[in-house]
Amino acid sequence: MLLRILRKNWAWLSVVAATFLFTVSPVLPHHSFTMFDMTKHITLAGTVTSFQWTNPHAYIEIDVPDEKGETKHWSIELGSPSILMQSGWKFTSIKPGDKITLLIAPLKSGQAGGFLLHATLPDGRVLNNGPQRPQ
Amino acid sequence: MACVAACGMFAALAQTPDFTGIWGIYRGGRNADPKLAPPPPTQLLLKEPYAKQYEEKQALQAAAAKRGEQLGNTSVLCIPYGVPTMMSIAIYPVEFIQTPKQVTIIAEAFSEVRRVYLDRAQLKLDEVPPGYYGRSVGHWEGDTLVVDTIGIKPSVSGYRGTPHSAQMRVTERIRMPAPDYLHDQITIEDPVVLEKPVTYTVAYKRMPADYEMVEFVCDNNREYIDENGVVRMKLEKR
Repeated sequence: MLLRILRKNWAWLSVVAATFLFTVSPVLPHHSFTMFDMTKHITLAGTVTSFQWTNPHAYIEIDVPDEKGETKHWSIELGSPSILMQSGWKFTSIKPGDKITLLIAPLKSGQAGGFLLHATLPDGRVLNNGPQRPQ
Repeated sequence: MACVAACGMFAALAQTPDFTGIWGIYRGGRNADPKLAPPPPTQLLLKEPYAKQYEEKQALQAAAAKRGEQLGNTSVLCIPYGVPTMMSIAIYPVEFIQTPKQVTIIAEAFSEVRRVYLDRAQLKLDEVPPGYYGRSVGHWEGDTLVVDTIGIKPSVSGYRGTPHSAQMRVTERIRMPAPDYLHDQITIEDPVVLEKPVTYTVAYKRMPADYEMVEFVCDNNREYIDENGVVRMKLEKR
């Protein structure tokens, strides 16, 4: 029942979640969010192929199966390690082979890339893409 | 005996505030104490033809944003910000390390480093090789560290993306308006580009005591600027 309600309202919940997220969104040091469609939110459930704890951004590379069983590969951009650490991420938070779910804002170009809104880890924890540092 | 010179220097230092520590950007907010929040900047007034060029650049950026695109700039390529922009990048902290002869400032974003010499005079402009950080000397005026910087090369983006000449001079007045708060009042003079000096303030609040600066080496920059000057993201090839 709960699952059905969640599924029915997922798009709406996503918007609420994203609105919340972007009021506390990370600020990128070297480019804006312009290339991502922040009005669109996509859920990707798949298998991590690599987690790159790097600057200027961290990346999650993930294989995502569709309804037909075909796999599509996505590159997802995160904040920098400095920003991610402020919301509980560690370089060991995820590893290749992990099954995770990501909420992302896709590239406007239509390519299989996007900007992370939040990640649900294998242990059920939900990590945001960085907080605003306390004032 | 050996103590005489060194102890004298530390005694002088004891009368000045100690900025040593890690400082996060403090923007204040609606209910912020006006003493602690950064005051608004002064008017930015450029001379011609720089004013027109700056306006045109901003119009191009606005038009691109309307199309859903961002035009590239040097920071997209991970080129450092330099002085004075590095003092305030997004929410990244800066670290001050203060000794009697030198204040060293390390910005977390892009790991930028600048050194302010307290025991020597400024050189003439034509003696300083143009760079990102130029040459900074400082002296104490009561509780305020006054820093003079020259030698920033014109290709380094200026305040709010404005152009600047090799003659730009940056004067900073750094003080703690209250314990655990730091203000850097930055004044930019440029007889070639600016009609009058512009002054703005970066406010900081001390980061939690256990905060450790994070390294920031840009070795996985997937952003690039395409042939139309637009920022794009490289995807992993499979």
